[in-house]
Amino acid sequence: MTEIPRDSKEGPTGAALDWSDPSTLPVAEVRELFVALGKALRAQQLYDQNNPVYQRFLTQLADALRGLWRSMDSLQVGVEEDRLSWMGEEIYRSSSRNDSLAFLLYKDGLREFTIHQGLEDAELPSFLRVLNRARDLRPEGDDLLTLLWEADLQHFTYNYVDLLAEGLELPSAGDGFPGGFQLVLERETGPEGEDGDEEEESGESGEAGAHPGQVSAEDFNPTLYSLDPLEMERIQADIEVEMERDLRGDVLAALFDRVEEPRFPNRQKEILDIFALLLPSFLSRGALSSAGAILEELTRLLRAEGALRPEHRVQAERILDEVSSAEALRELIQALEDGTIAPDPAELSALLRHLRAGALAPLLRGAEEAEDRGIKSIIQEAVRGIAQKYREALIGCMDSTDPVVVAGACSLAGRIQFVEAGPKVAALFNHPEPRVRLAAVEAALGLRASTAVGALQDALEDEDRDVRIAAARALGALRYRPSAPYFRAIIEGKALRQADISERIAFFESYGLLQDPDALRLLDGFLNGRGFLGKRESGDMRACAALGLGKMNTPEAREALARAQGESDPVVRSAVNRALRGEG
Amino acid sequence: MTVRERPSAAENARLQEQGRKVLTALYVTLRALKLYPLENAAVQSALNDLHQLVSALVATDGGVELRVMGDFFFLNETRLRLDLSNYSTFGSFARALNNHGLGAVEVLPGIERGEWAPFLSLLLRPPAEADPFEGFMQRLSGAPILHLQFRPETEVQEPGLEEEEAMHAAKRTYAQSVRLAKEALTDVRMGRAVNARRVKRAVQGIVDQVLANEPSMMTMTTLRDFDEYTFTHCVNVCIFSVIIGQRLGLTKLQLYELGLGALFHDLGKSRLDYEVINKAGGLNDEEWFQLQQHPTEGLLALFHLHGFQEMPYRQMLVVYEHHMKRDLSGYPKNRRPRSPALFSRIVSVADSFDAGTSIRSYQYEPWAPDQVLREMRDNSKRGLDPLLVKALINATGVFPIGTLCILDSMEMGVVSAVSKDPKKLHLPVVKIISDAMGVPLAEPRTVDLSRLDPATGKPAVAIIKTIDPQKYGIKVSDYLI
Repeated sequence: MTEIPRDSKEGPTGAALDWSDPSTLPVAEVRELFVALGKALRAQQLYDQNNPVYQRFLTQLADALRGLWRSMDSLQVGVEEDRLSWMGEEIYRSSSRNDSLAFLLYKDGLREFTIHQGLEDAELPSFLRVLNRARDLRPEGDDLLTLLWEADLQHFTYNYVDLLAEGLELPSAGDGFPGGFQLVLERETGPEGEDGDEEEESGESGEAGAHPGQVSAEDFNPTLYSLDPLEMERIQADIEVEMERDLRGDVLAALFDRVEEPRFPNRQKEILDIFALLLPSFLSRGALSSAGAILEELTRLLRAEGALRPEHRVQAERILDEVSSAEALRELIQALEDGTIAPDPAELSALLRHLRAGALAPLLRGAEEAEDRGIKSIIQEAVRGIAQKYREALIGCMDSTDPVVVAGACSLAGRIQFVEAGPKVAALFNHPEPRVRLAAVEAALGLRASTAVGALQDALEDEDRDVRIAAARALGALRYRPSAPYFRAIIEGKALRQADISERIAFFESYGLLQDPDALRLLDGFLNGRGFLGKRESGDMRACAALGLGKMNTPEAREALARAQGESDPVVRSAVNRALRGEG
Repeated sequence: MTVRERPSAAENARLQEQGRKVLTALYVTLRALKLYPLENAAVQSALNDLHQLVSALVATDGGVELRVMGDFFFLNETRLRLDLSNYSTFGSFARALNNHGLGAVEVLPGIERGEWAPFLSLLLRPPAEADPFEGFMQRLSGAPILHLQFRPETEVQEPGLEEEEAMHAAKRTYAQSVRLAKEALTDVRMGRAVNARRVKRAVQGIVDQVLANEPSMMTMTTLRDFDEYTFTHCVNVCIFSVIIGQRLGLTKLQLYELGLGALFHDLGKSRLDYEVINKAGGLNDEEWFQLQQHPTEGLLALFHLHGFQEMPYRQMLVVYEHHMKRDLSGYPKNRRPRSPALFSRIVSVADSFDAGTSIRSYQYEPWAPDQVLREMRDNSKRGLDPLLVKALINATGVFPIGTLCILDSMEMGVVSAVSKDPKKLHLPVVKIISDAMGVPLAEPRTVDLSRLDPATGKPAVAIIKTIDPQKYGIKVSDYLI
């Protein structure tokens, strides 16, 4: 026991009570204090710092302390395994170790503590934090004493038993000099000066000066050992640099330097193991730049000829594959979405850039589901980059059982104009999921490949409205005239008349864009023609035809539109005017 | 002088705050008096503030004594913490007192506002040449000062722990730290998990001990055991690093972080070939190359330590960079830009000093501590930060504790304490262990070399030569611990 607890029956200093009469001691108040402490501890565990419930319990505890200070200056408490005592009186007991304050303090060696006046002013939250942290410590981690030391509380002092100090012995120096001081004096100050040994030493340490041991008055100049204000300023700046140092970055740089040394294969393996250990830790803490740096280094090492032995190449590849796995990325995306990680866009982008083929599917899903537009955009960009590097993997994603992934891969194939994906895209026009078929339409537009474009014509009659509209728009945008007969059939058919106005507009406008020789006749007929009994088409259909003529934008089409300018139906008149103005 | 008890922790915090305020008020008033006439509003305002502050303190504490001892100020029994926000203020007032040979100023109950101006004005006058303290007291006798008392710096003793108690605590901390260093290094060698909690506690103990009584911990570093060198060296480097850090104004937690890195600085050696690490005599190129791997091995070893909430990155960098040198000419070599940070440079200095003064397997005849300091200071090839070497010398003095020396009286002695006066760091306190004939003294006597001979006005005795005690197998620790 290194710190011997004092007798806790000693009367506190400065006390205003009659300590000789135990019946006057405020035992009840002290017990109340520990009840209040227990409540405040629980409240701190349960609530945020600003929560009024926590604040109320904190105030109650502070008030209980202030109440005690009316009769004493400090409170010295003895700690036993299951109880706390003050002045010989039990003030706290708990038989259950799990939530016992006494055991919490006792188990790490604390045997006595003193609360001083002032704890209630500024240190109470820190004090509670230490106690609550101590409850959750792992056996191999810190203990209460370490936490208390780090907290450096000014108004809470303690004594503890220290088992580390049991049976300690100081290291001892070797045997003493047998020759006696006289010989030393003779050798060191004899008329011949330094002896042989000294000369040898002098030779070895020539940098130290010609006469080792000889006192030089030059050494006594205080400027040699006193720091002046300017030097202290430099030190202050250095301290700030030290405190703000990118510790992780500098440690990683050291590891990167050393992993590049193939002459130490075991060390290379160990560092690669460390990378594998650090990556999840960095990702969970949101240290994306550090995680990205590791991935970049691994990628670079794999590219460098001879930098890694074959077995270490496998190890490095495995790390990159693991971090690109669906499980790892699901975690990351979830953390990004729920705000656990608030990434710097550049750091996130740098991290994702190094992911591999395995990352495509989870990122495609992530890009689709991300609600944050910024994150969505970063993931999309990353996915694009990975897809361009791993094109086969992109095609592989189109075989996924997850329609979100298939749709995402399909759209992406179109966006990066991955023509080789054309047949796969075409096949997806038959996918049971409408979102996939829709993506296939978008991809076909991007690819402009004949296999895919051909499939677009079939999609004009897809069972899903959005697919149909997209297909119509795509064919229009492609000016794919071979599809004109399909359009004509649909426009003249009954189904389109029952469709909503958006779909009808899409078909008419797209048809107009095809510049079909029959289009003027057909659309003019819809707009200006009359039926068997002089009956006109419905206003909606005429308006759609007007928009189609607008897309044709030929003199004949404009003439047909001009003829309808005086139309009394406001819907038609409006569409005509829009078409003439080139809107729509 | 009033005898006061050591303050409690809470009391200490209060006195720290009050002490800083009082010193600042004294400094401000002194500066105002230097710049303006007494009737100037700035001077009057400063005098008001000072008087109010000190009177309140006198009322609560029954009297106030300010003592200056070397770099440290004491308010009653509390050593005021010097940091980078107040070192200039403290230093300025300390110099003003030291110029007149004053070591302590005691303020008695009943102090009046009118007493401050004459006292501070006297401080601003040039000191008497022959005996500054006597001269000051003579001038004071004509001034209306009744509630201020003064003591010369030669009479001022460091309060706090009794020496014996401090040494006892230091011994316990040191022994515990050596044992834990041994455990940790052995665990790494055996591939076992290191108990980081115990190591942390050891470093906390060292920081506490250095903050409470720096000389006692410095004395413990003289206890060098060749067989235990690896472990005592780790602890000594930790102690010297914390001492340097304290001189630089690092906070307690920063000292702890630094100390932890310092204790682990040679951890990597435990992963190298035992034969190479302990080889007697010189190393061949291959062995030297192996030895140079220890910073990297240490960095890697720290990744396997459990018990840290977060990876000990700062300590890893200390371990990795402590042989790098400022110009990066040391080892390991860098491929990426790197600038060894302050903590690494502090540990380099502490490491160089302790290694230079120790017997190791490949260094039978170490240099005397003062020669090591000179070498560290003057030889830029060592790659040490000159400011940090200065800070070390500032703490150890020109002749560090444990230096075996021959005096001009031909007596032999061991340096037992550093002068408290920063201007007299070359004039330590020495324990005389043998007379001029080399006859050991049954009862060593202590001589303060900074004491002047009244007849000559110069130090009565002086060091003419330092000797390496280990060269002769003399155990200086026998005379100190």
